Amino acid sequence: MKRTVVTGFVGTVLDYVGKGNQRWEKWRPTVGLCQQEDLVVHRLELLHDARSRGLFERLRRDIAQVSPETEVVSVEIALRDPWDFEEVYAALLDYARGYTFDTEAEDYLIHITTGTHVAQICWFLLAEARYLPARLAQTSPPRKKEPGDVSGSVAIIDLDLSRYDRIASRFARERDETVSFLKSGIATRNASFNRMIEQIERVAVRSKAPMLFCGPTGAGKSFLARRVYEMKKARHQLAGHFVEVNCATLRGDSAMSALFGHVKGAFTGAQAERAGLLRSADGGLLFLDEIGELGLDEQAMLLKAIEEKRFFPVGSDREVESDFQLIAGTVRDLQQWVAEGRFREDLYARINLWTYALPGLADRSEDLEPNLEFELARYAREHGSQVRFNLEARRAYLKFATSADAQWRGNFRELSASVTRMATLADTGRIDLEQVEEEVGRLRRSWSSPADHALTALLGDAAEALDLFDRMQLENVIAVCRAAGSLSDSGRRLFAVSRQEKAKVNDADRLRKYLARFGLTWEQLREAA
Amino acid sequence: MKNNIQSDWVQLDGAQGEGGGQVLRTALTLSMITGKPFQIERIRAGRAKSGLLRQHLTAVEAAATITDAQVVGATPGSQSLRFVPRRLLAGDYRFAIGTAGSCTLVLQTVLPALWLADGPSTVTVSGGTHNKAAPPADFLIQTWAPLMARMGVRQTLALNRHGFYPAGGGEIVARIEPGSALLPLQLVERGALRGVQAEAVVAGVSYNVARRELDTVAAAFPEATQAVIELPADEGPGNVLLLRAEFEQLTEICTGFGERGISAERVAGNTVAELRRYLDSGAALGEHLADQLLLPLALAGGGGFTTCTVSSHLTTQIAVIQRFLPVDIDITPISTGARIAVSAR
Repeated sequence: MKRTVVTGFVGTVLDYVGKGNQRWEKWRPTVGLCQQEDLVVHRLELLHDARSRGLFERLRRDIAQVSPETEVVSVEIALRDPWDFEEVYAALLDYARGYTFDTEAEDYLIHITTGTHVAQICWFLLAEARYLPARLAQTSPPRKKEPGDVSGSVAIIDLDLSRYDRIASRFARERDETVSFLKSGIATRNASFNRMIEQIERVAVRSKAPMLFCGPTGAGKSFLARRVYEMKKARHQLAGHFVEVNCATLRGDSAMSALFGHVKGAFTGAQAERAGLLRSADGGLLFLDEIGELGLDEQAMLLKAIEEKRFFPVGSDREVESDFQLIAGTVRDLQQWVAEGRFREDLYARINLWTYALPGLADRSEDLEPNLEFELARYAREHGSQVRFNLEARRAYLKFATSADAQWRGNFRELSASVTRMATLADTGRIDLEQVEEEVGRLRRSWSSPADHALTALLGDAAEALDLFDRMQLENVIAVCRAAGSLSDSGRRLFAVSRQEKAKVNDADRLRKYLARFGLTWEQLREAA
Repeated sequence: MKNNIQSDWVQLDGAQGEGGGQVLRTALTLSMITGKPFQIERIRAGRAKSGLLRQHLTAVEAAATITDAQVVGATPGSQSLRFVPRRLLAGDYRFAIGTAGSCTLVLQTVLPALWLADGPSTVTVSGGTHNKAAPPADFLIQTWAPLMARMGVRQTLALNRHGFYPAGGGEIVARIEPGSALLPLQLVERGALRGVQAEAVVAGVSYNVARRELDTVAAAFPEATQAVIELPADEGPGNVLLLRAEFEQLTEICTGFGERGISAERVAGNTVAELRRYLDSGAALGEHLADQLLLPLALAGGGGFTTCTVSSHLTTQIAVIQRFLPVDIDITPISTGARIAVSAR
């Protein structure tokens, strides 16, 4: 059984109710603490200064009488001003540091009812920061309804909020709501995606550090960045604006000034001052999509702006300040780009703290159905008319959309476009099988590879008659030929391994013969390109 | 030992009936005497402060000390307790229990076991001797002890110092000589009333309070003798009014406690009303005495009494006793209440 150890101040006001017998008729928090029916205090450490020695002795004697189980220990501390936060905190921190806690054998409580409010705040902070491995004990005077009771009551307060069922379930509910908000209410089923969003929620709530979203175009990077912003704004963690910019659109001289602003007359044509996107994002969230496309000079400026929250607008010799949360997006393998010298390593290190890879739609086929619902609802909202699939049509569309044939190269953006097309063409708000079949045809055509087109252009219908095996091989051979300078060059590349074993190289001939099997010549390939 | 829990152990439900604490104390006494271990679950389940309170723990600790028992679960708030007595030891015991417990309840728990020990003992209990939630020391000494003496118990009880709630600091000393087996006792009639005595005790409280209480008693019982007992102020603060009705067969005591916010007249009025109810009932024993006599009768293996009401405490008590002892306890309703008969099986 663990022993209960309580630390608290001698209450020079509340515990002092006179020396006579009538003291027993008044509530004294420190004595009342030891008179509880359901709490045995095995050791009571009472903090007091030299002036309160008499009061301490009286408390010790009285407690021995009502609670023989309690050992009362005197801890003398010198406090010049018990209302001085700095002094009290330092004194209590010293006490906590110097105390040997044996949490295996003893259960610690801090009695917060006695002492100044400043002391109460300090106890609270020390317990919350776990300098004191203790719960708080708050004693209260007896209620008027119960005459004769002088012991009052005690409430034990654990500052670990997760230990309170109602608070914990409320936190969990709020978190679920936030996670759902980040997913726009779409009940996604992909487990790893859901885990990722949950982590993004935690990071976004607790940190202002940059985040990096990687993933193919249309995977929802910009959408997610905006949801993060809206979530943080709703929680009053951000007050400024959401500023979104695609770095691929920032080219040449104007990139600097678009990002960092310029002063009037900074360069020819700079007729007015421009704040720049970074300054517009002050207090808000800046989403830099395609950050890999940013020039190296801009990267250097951006790094400084992130780290120091200060930068020079173009043509200005005075720095301006802007404090924003950064989310960057990229389709590139930035690590590779760093290796190739196309992206600054220091900037990459700075933004590669919370990096999330957003999978494309084809990798989340189980999420297709909920996203389909979302898109239908969005269409209804934007166009003011409900559109529904009929049962058969819905089944057919889902079957195709979740099959291996569906490449979804444009990801969620493409799904959105697909739904919009069907919904627009649907008569009387019903998408039927015919519309689905047409849409499936449209999608298939848009995904057929450029190589496919090349083959069809060269061979006509004969291309359809080829085995997939031959078609794949031929497509690649054509691609190599088109990239090479001559027939011999093409041959060298295509037979780079086997030609080394031959005494006499004949790769140009081998290639000519291969092409001839399909009725093609090297010149034909070049011309068609 | 664990394997045998189902067979050898007495299993009790601490939520049965009303008296969570009473079930525990009765079980402790009987376990000490019979040597049977017991396990009690759901102690005071469903109460605002559920589980064991300190007043229960003081009884558990005293019982454990006297029988060198192995105890599991004796912590505040615990809803389950296991008690395994090893051997009953006569001796010189001191228990300091403060005011969270009651000296009289601790004594009533451990004394019956020491009557049956193999040597003389003294038990000194310090703490609260007079508090609302337990019989006062005077009841133990003047009502309960004489009846025990008639059953062959050789003990003396002395109140050395009053201990009122909340200051405590009182002391009761019990001296026990081991005796032969307990004798059955029949208390069907209380016999003729020999007199009523009113005693108002004050410690650190105005004499006037005692006077007003006695004046209120005098209005109801003009023939009652009166006494004010002024204790040293440092034994207080406290005030208790004791109304003692002496009959040929027994003495009954009704008690009222003075409290801040309750007038002396009201304290006395309530106590007078309680005595009046008892006098009017015609049964031999009042409710509290009936609860306390049952266990000694069961130990004696025979006897009986009449009581004005069959409280749920009494029926709970019967159920617990029968778990430890082979006795039959019959309840027969009669015009003045009920007749209880105890016989060995």
